[in-house]
Amino acid sequence: MSALTLTAVGGEAFQVTPTLIDFNLRLVFTGSGDMNATAVVNEYLKLVHEEAIRLGLAQVSCDFKHLTFMNSSCFKSFVVWIDTVKNSDVRYQIAFLTNPALPWQRRSLEALRRLAANLVTIETIA
Amino acid sequence: MTDTTNARALVSLTLSFRPLANQIGPLRTLVSDLCKPHLADPDGLSRLLLAAHELLENIVKYSVGEAAEFHLQLEAETSGLLVRLRTKNRAAPERMADARWRLDALAAARDPIAHYDELIRESAGRRDVSGLGLARIPAESEMALRYATEQDWLILIAEGNTSERVRR
Repeated sequence: MSALTLTAVGGEAFQVTPTLIDFNLRLVFTGSGDMNATAVVNEYLKLVHEEAIRLGLAQVSCDFKHLTFMNSSCFKSFVVWIDTVKNSDVRYQIAFLTNPALPWQRRSLEALRRLAANLVTIETIA
Repeated sequence: MTDTTNARALVSLTLSFRPLANQIGPLRTLVSDLCKPHLADPDGLSRLLLAAHELLENIVKYSVGEAAEFHLQLEAETSGLLVRLRTKNRAAPERMADARWRLDALAAARDPIAHYDELIRESAGRRDVSGLGLARIPAESEMALRYATEQDWLILIAEGNTSERVRR
């Protein structure tokens, strides 16, 4: 399997850190996904999709344990990403790992699951 | 900033400001600090903050001119707490028309979650603006959203109920 070419992006207020284990890519989101993060998320998810196709990944997991908020523009980037995977010839699963102490996550991510119930799963992490 | 003349309000905050993106985080923290002691659970606070954030971003993105207003009121009622968020900003004619169109569609929708899901599906193929922020408020915050206009001013009002922390 080829090496991961994705690197961590963002700064103190918002960061995404990738880790590849076997055929699963884990993206750890930290901070607040607000207006300042929108462009970063938008561009990064495009790279994630390219990387997932290149590496033949089975799953991409988005760890939101330390993501305190996501605005509608960042949310829209996830909508576009999921729609891209949904319409791709080569698909992979997308798992969202949520923090039960941050109730907005479950409500927001349920809308993404409804967009592509066969691709998207939501799990709770301690 | 706090309106002491409104005796029923647990919190009443009115802010007039020139909206900037880097003010949203501190304002969100202020809203959280003011309301958290009165709310019974984290879910109620989370819903309130989501609505406040989307309304604040809306005025940062779409205000024209210098002044905008943000108003928060948290009021005790017999059945719990009434939360009211209100923003007022000048909007360009095309933005005003777009906002009216979106808000009228939202008002006409029987089910805010089904309407939100439909907007999400429609927005998936578009790479331009989100267009989801206002519809997210009733769908995820469970707050009713309505609007009014005064010449080129757009006024958005989000209202909802939540549980009060037992304290009296």
